Amino acid sequence: MDAPENEKPEPEPEPRYPMQKYPIDGQVFKSLVDAGLTWLRTNQQTVNSLNVFPVPDGDTGTNMVLTMQAACEEIVNSPEHNIGRISQKVAHGALMGARGNSGVILSQLWRGFAHALDNFEFLEGRSFVNALHHGRNTAYRGVVRPVEGTILTVAKDIAAEAERSIVDTQDPYELLERIVSAADKSVSRTPELLSVLKDAGVVDAGGKGLFFILEGMLRYVMGLPLDVNIASIQPLSAMKLENAFDSIEPGQDYEVVVDFHPHDELNFPQFYEELQQIGTSIQIGEGDGIYRMHIHVASENLYAPIEYSKSLGVVTKAAIENLHAQMEQVDHDRSATIQFTTIEPGQIATVAVAPGLGIARVFASLGVSAIVEGGQTMNPSTQEILNAFENFPTDYVFILPNNKNIILAAQAAAQLTVKHVTVIPSRTIPQGMAAMLRLIPTGHPEEVAADMNSVLNDVETGEITTATRSVEIDGVNVTQGQIISLLNGKLVLAAEDLSTATLGLLEKAHADQYELITLFYGLEVSRMEVDSIADSIRKEYPRQEIEVQEGGQPHYQFIISIE
Amino acid sequence: MSNDNFQLGRITVSPRAIATIAYNAARQSYGVVGLTSKNLVEGITQVIVKDPTHGIEVKYDGDKISIDIYVIIEYGTRITSVASSVNNTVKFHVEKALGMPVEQVNVHVRGLRVSDMD
Repeated sequence: MDAPENEKPEPEPEPRYPMQKYPIDGQVFKSLVDAGLTWLRTNQQTVNSLNVFPVPDGDTGTNMVLTMQAACEEIVNSPEHNIGRISQKVAHGALMGARGNSGVILSQLWRGFAHALDNFEFLEGRSFVNALHHGRNTAYRGVVRPVEGTILTVAKDIAAEAERSIVDTQDPYELLERIVSAADKSVSRTPELLSVLKDAGVVDAGGKGLFFILEGMLRYVMGLPLDVNIASIQPLSAMKLENAFDSIEPGQDYEVVVDFHPHDELNFPQFYEELQQIGTSIQIGEGDGIYRMHIHVASENLYAPIEYSKSLGVVTKAAIENLHAQMEQVDHDRSATIQFTTIEPGQIATVAVAPGLGIARVFASLGVSAIVEGGQTMNPSTQEILNAFENFPTDYVFILPNNKNIILAAQAAAQLTVKHVTVIPSRTIPQGMAAMLRLIPTGHPEEVAADMNSVLNDVETGEITTATRSVEIDGVNVTQGQIISLLNGKLVLAAEDLSTATLGLLEKAHADQYELITLFYGLEVSRMEVDSIADSIRKEYPRQEIEVQEGGQPHYQFIISIE
Repeated sequence: MSNDNFQLGRITVSPRAIATIAYNAARQSYGVVGLTSKNLVEGITQVIVKDPTHGIEVKYDGDKISIDIYVIIEYGTRITSVASSVNNTVKFHVEKALGMPVEQVNVHVRGLRVSDMD
């Protein structure tokens, strides 16, 4: 001892947890590392949700878990009691399993940590501090321009805290407790150091992950459970409540969100425990003294969260949503999104005019880059067509009007832009689709356009609709309300029902001489009716392939492509 | 290099500008301690370069940008993880700045720096 005033022997402090009696050797350390992994895994999604960079690097939480898992696998069967040797193994495993940026940094922390413990039997106060210090240094050496507000900062802050605390205590468990709280503080400071975090209203994911590893170790020492996710209070801005689920579990009928001002300071653990009695998927946010609680409950508990919040304070807002309905909406939205082909500069981009969602989706699958909604009786404006392609990163654009009344608007749009726009004069949906099959986005625009034009008449188009007035055209007498068939735009027959009109049309088109008949059924016809008509077509044309697609177009019961 | 037609003319971005973006992105990647000239014969002492055009090669072939990066990595890190993170970071930052897709980022690990552990 070089400080004589400290020579007076201090009374040995009472150990606060049973484990504190044991020195940290290799086997104890093994349990600690394992606890760190378990707790990190429990909180994996919390860490993942903090990602702010849309870099396709995987999620931070997952990467750190995989890195720690590799470290644990290295020691799981090791009977090693020497702390130096076991931490070497941990470092080796972490190195081999390092995934993503945060994983690599974590493995460097372990590497430095292990290096400092090289000749030690136990992890004691001084060697612990030293090891943290080395971990920090090794991690910082791995980068030219360290960015502060990341896991590196947290590593630095805990090393500094350990350095300060060693003056008060030599006990490694006490030190662990102090560095966990230092890590917590450091993590919450990361948004002040890194503006992207502040803008996104989150803390650094890697730093938070490191905190969970350390906290897991401490929880193990304290004998606290490691597999139960304790919701932490998050800033209100970081709460993501929309569609945060993929499926509904039993007992989750309603989503309840309650905002309230508590009368007294909230006893968080107790509050959380009470909520767990009521429901699941609990999230709690805080901002400006308002707490927002989000919970999924079964029908019989519908009002319990609100009643409970009322007992704690003043409820300012409450919202209830039926999860089953919400789920249906999610499913619907998901199926409604269309994947368009992305365009690279210099390539040919195509825009198709389509009257319904189903037809739009077929065009998207054929490789168009944008859809303009429109068709018979709903012609899009020149401006709408122009807007669809003006922002493409390429100069070459093809337009498929897919209706004879829209060709002019498309040609006008072509005049209004500096891009090289070619209108492929498709007069019907099937013609547009036939042309799309010939598109080579990387080809020479003039050649490709000529090729697409050449196939327009290879396909026969049938359209089935209801007559809006009585008239006689092309020798066919039509009464208002009858079902009429048009072949390539010309009226060919009128019938009393859909089935007769459809079969009659196919006959007029000599469908028996073609190979493929595709039916796009419209909004106003039921799937059952479609199926029964498709069946009779199959009976009539056994050698042709019959395809049925949802077209979603208004006015036309069927748009039929015969090729 | 890359150009988009605008109403009043065109915008061109030089390979050097793209190299600078890639250079800064690569240097921010954890595990990369420096970039090195591509022209160095392997085996000769690694010289860390400060000029982005020496450690980075930007090729522009018609409509595809491809970037080659020559890096020195800290000894003791997992090289594949660091390299894939360089790949991701560079692609992300260049695409964000240019608004154009990057076809390829090739990371060439030209050497390791061994730091003193003590």
